[in-house]
Amino acid sequence: MNSTISDPAFWSRFQFGFTLTYHYLFPQLTMGLAWFLVYWKWRALRTGNEEYNRAVRFWAKIFGLNFAIGVVTGIPMEFQFGTNWASFTRYSGGVIGQTLAMESMFAFFLESAFIGALIWGEKRLGPRYHFVAALGVALGSWLSGFFILVTNAFMQHPVGYRSEANGQLGIASLSGYLLNPWAFVQFTHNQMAALVTGSFVVAAVGAFYVLRGLHPTQAKLYLRGGTFVALIASFLVAFPTGDQQAKMVGKHQPVTLAAMEGRFAGGRMAGVAVIGQPNVAARRLDNPIEVPGALSFLAYGTFASYVHGLEEYPVDAWPDNIELLYYSFHLMITLGTIFIVLMGYASFQNWRGRLMSSPWLLWVLMLAFPFPYIANTVGWMTAELGRQPWLVYGLFHTRDGYSKVVSSGDTIFTLIGFIGLYIVVGLLFLYLEGREIAHGPEEEIVPGGGAVAGNRQVLVPSPAELVANRKAESLV
Amino acid sequence: MIATWYALVSLMLIIYVVLDGRNFGAGMLHWLAAKTPEERRQVVAAIGPLWSWHEVWLVGFGGTLVAVFPRLMASAFAGYYLALFLILWCLILRGISIEVGGHIDDRLWQGFWDFVFVFSNFLLAILFGAAAGNVGRGVPLDAEGNFSMAFFSNFGVRGYVGLLDWYTVSVAIFAVVILAAHGATYLSLKTEGPVHDRSAVWAKYLWPAAVPLFIAISIESLVVRPDVPRHAISNPFCWLGMLIVVGAIIALISGLSTRRETRAFVGSSALVVGLLVTGAAAIFPVMLYSTIAPGNSLTAHGVASSHSTLLLASFWWPVGFALATTYFVFISRRYAGKVSVKRDTQGFY
Repeated sequence: MNSTISDPAFWSRFQFGFTLTYHYLFPQLTMGLAWFLVYWKWRALRTGNEEYNRAVRFWAKIFGLNFAIGVVTGIPMEFQFGTNWASFTRYSGGVIGQTLAMESMFAFFLESAFIGALIWGEKRLGPRYHFVAALGVALGSWLSGFFILVTNAFMQHPVGYRSEANGQLGIASLSGYLLNPWAFVQFTHNQMAALVTGSFVVAAVGAFYVLRGLHPTQAKLYLRGGTFVALIASFLVAFPTGDQQAKMVGKHQPVTLAAMEGRFAGGRMAGVAVIGQPNVAARRLDNPIEVPGALSFLAYGTFASYVHGLEEYPVDAWPDNIELLYYSFHLMITLGTIFIVLMGYASFQNWRGRLMSSPWLLWVLMLAFPFPYIANTVGWMTAELGRQPWLVYGLFHTRDGYSKVVSSGDTIFTLIGFIGLYIVVGLLFLYLEGREIAHGPEEEIVPGGGAVAGNRQVLVPSPAELVANRKAESLV
Repeated sequence: MIATWYALVSLMLIIYVVLDGRNFGAGMLHWLAAKTPEERRQVVAAIGPLWSWHEVWLVGFGGTLVAVFPRLMASAFAGYYLALFLILWCLILRGISIEVGGHIDDRLWQGFWDFVFVFSNFLLAILFGAAAGNVGRGVPLDAEGNFSMAFFSNFGVRGYVGLLDWYTVSVAIFAVVILAAHGATYLSLKTEGPVHDRSAVWAKYLWPAAVPLFIAISIESLVVRPDVPRHAISNPFCWLGMLIVVGAIIALISGLSTRRETRAFVGSSALVVGLLVTGAAAIFPVMLYSTIAPGNSLTAHGVASSHSTLLLASFWWPVGFALATTYFVFISRRYAGKVSVKRDTQGFY
């Protein structure tokens, strides 16, 4: 790595990476879960079936805590542009500040105005406004994703800017900046990945209840909705969005593509390594098992396409942590492939009506929910490590971006503070969400009677049934 | 154009202080105005489902600052490094304490989070107060527009100053008192029963206590920055701010003495707005004054983005602001009236 451990830039990068990785564990769930809430709320309005409202009430609590931690861990991200990356802010604030401000004005205000109403306001608002609240939160969360991805896309592939007389960047074309082709690809890829996380969590909670024999009606709603959305989203993450993202990297950041694959020598029929460890000192991939031609095809459309190797570029243009970049990328695509297979099989079993009676599959679904978090995290590591050594690709080096007046001592101090605080917040989060899930959706109230465990004979159409499977079936 | 953006950025910060300031105040009075667990849930419910909406004004201020005054953001945020992280950590703790406190109906659990809630709100009021003092007094900006500041140096207000000195500490104390008074006025508007009665009493004591403190920091400000009044007198916004203050005081006194709680709260909010408008207008065009050499001061003109960038931002920004105002109307109507712990289950799961 260019930045050594005594270098202030290293610690500012470490702190930003740590706080951002931690922060993004929460929004990826809320962005995915939001549309489940909207859908269930809509079904409740249309059918009057109370099961959907029960599902919304339960998941709104899970959503609420995720949202709150997302908010409080997100504010430091914006502050750090000024505190730790002052030189970068001075250079590019006129451009990236536009979307940072838009995120607040158009997304956060919308989202946070309705979040309280969604979680606590059902009685105050009534069903129609409660649906509007769910929709407002979902739209706000996706809009904030859009604006922050436009910001990141500018750092990956700067467009729509111009250099001002004082050396800083300004906006030349706002539409060019907002409609950055990189942003469109990255946004769709990222949002599908968030849906994968949301749907895996919904399915996992459903599987947990089925295995424990609790809340059967609710469990089936979660399990069927979760596996169906997970299959669609897992597929869309890979194709076309992931595929387009790889092509974008191949076109605009060929040196990054070479590093992601650990390719030191250029050539045609470039393969994708299934297994292999990059050895940067010896400039080769150790123990490689490759699918020949796959990289050429994925990145440029034909097996014969020429893929550049790292050796064609000066060493100081290489991403500065090739090993981590390589593993991040490979872990992401491996997990993504497994997700498609798993959810394909689960949806197939659901279609055959055997999902509820396959304990092995339910166990796997229940334990699978952490892996989309890992895949999202390593996906972002691929994007951000791949961008190095640039802060704004081709324009501004990472080593020039940090705050000159902030010492390593200051940054290490605040980093330690964040690590301590975030461990506490994380433990608290796990404890409370675990408690909420163990407690489960509220009991059903049978008119004229007490609460029962929810095994009434009711017909609950799931999203899966509506689209993939039309046969009506009575859920017990 | 630059003056307009200075006003808009200040407006966002002022709205944040008014909205979240009442939460700081209510938080500081949490233990004093509410004694039993149920009463304390009432205070949390009054801050209620909107604390994150209030914090968005701070985030929006930060984002807009990056866009229109990037060099100020770069200088000030890096220079105030440790103080800003203290603010961030308090904001994190405050948000967490509101959200998780009601999750478990247990005395120890709620007692602990009540403590975190009071402590973080108190520290936030102090830190924001000291930050306001720092903006007024100035910081040791060098010729390149950078500074790096310790928490305290020699407690003086000239030269290489620290974050805390006699002046910034006075402003912090004033901020604590006035925000506590603002919070008490808010709590008496939103609550019923014993919490309401105690808050009303606190409001009656805290507002008069703010008066001598205000006179003290006004005199101190003249000593610290004797150059300011000369600009301020010719700035109409300064007069506007003072007019708001006068109107606010009348509304506040009449509201408090006749127990018209809405009027008192409007007066209380307007008072905070008026004070901040006066302050923001008085220091313009200097955004950050240099205590080493006045020539190093950062002015709005010196730190702004280019004209075309500002112009572009002024096309979309009003749309966002109009939307935010719409949500505000929706929220105010939906959440109007006293909170009831039974209906507003905020804090109870």
